Amino acid sequence: MKRSFEKRLVFVWLALSAMTLAQLALTSLGEQDSLAPNAALTSSAIVIALIKVRVIIREFMEVRHAPVLLCRLTDLWMVLTGVSLLGSYFVGMAFSRG
Amino acid sequence: MTPVASAEPRADAPDERAAAGERTERVRFVPGQPDMWVFVLFEALVFTSYFTVYVVRRTQSAELFLQSQAHLDLRVGVFNTLVLLVSSWSVARCVQAAREGSVRTALTNAYLTMLFGFVFLVSKVLEWATEIDQGFSFTTDEFFSFYYFLTAIHFLHLLIGFVALGVAVYQIKSPARRSQELVETCATYWHTIDFLWVLIFALLYVMR
Repeated sequence: MKRSFEKRLVFVWLALSAMTLAQLALTSLGEQDSLAPNAALTSSAIVIALIKVRVIIREFMEVRHAPVLLCRLTDLWMVLTGVSLLGSYFVGMAFSRG
Repeated sequence: MTPVASAEPRADAPDERAAAGERTERVRFVPGQPDMWVFVLFEALVFTSYFTVYVVRRTQSAELFLQSQAHLDLRVGVFNTLVLLVSSWSVARCVQAAREGSVRTALTNAYLTMLFGFVFLVSKVLEWATEIDQGFSFTTDEFFSFYYFLTAIHFLHLLIGFVALGVAVYQIKSPARRSQELVETCATYWHTIDFLWVLIFALLYVMR
């Protein structure tokens, strides 16, 4: 196996694992009042998760070498998911307070 | 890409095309069968709708969801995520080794992927058993209904993933029937299971 490709895969896996541990660290930072909604923690968790998903799709699934249409479609899905999740969270929280 | 029936590296192998592309102009290829990508995008949209409904319901009963979420073990969620990320790494190595005609390395990585997938399955079953043992079942409350639904449907996808890995191993083992495109298709499915879990982990275990 090409050494450069192998190194790249290891680096990608390490980056994904580091982001997972960052999510773990985020929850411990917000432990003071774990029974209260935390918009900053939630937004960070969702954004980090979407970055991880994009890294998996681009690197492990090799979409970075794919035709532009596939790159755009996968990016479009990620934007749609991000807007849906963050939008539902903030709009839902606003409605539940009101 | 077209199927090949040889253990030899193909002249049009994606990595070689990509390397050539760096020298001249960028050459692009679809990893695996395009049909699988249609399926992946469809599945991703279906899961996005599940996740959105979950977040909407969560904001309407924030206290209940937070109280129930506190009974999940975050460390188990992190462990499961890392295990699936390792499995994605090994299946990516499997694809690359198969592309280069390194049958032994490709098979080793395919079996490693199966092993990591199995570790995830066992860990998930143990987690469910622990939750049920503590009195938290599908009908306990809305949070646990979502928890069991999302994790069970993901579990089902993972079981199908083992069939996909079996197909990949079957393809890699014989030079007569080997199809790099099919190996990449199976790997694409496996990675989909991984990135869906990444979102499930963030929504069930981390968000507040």
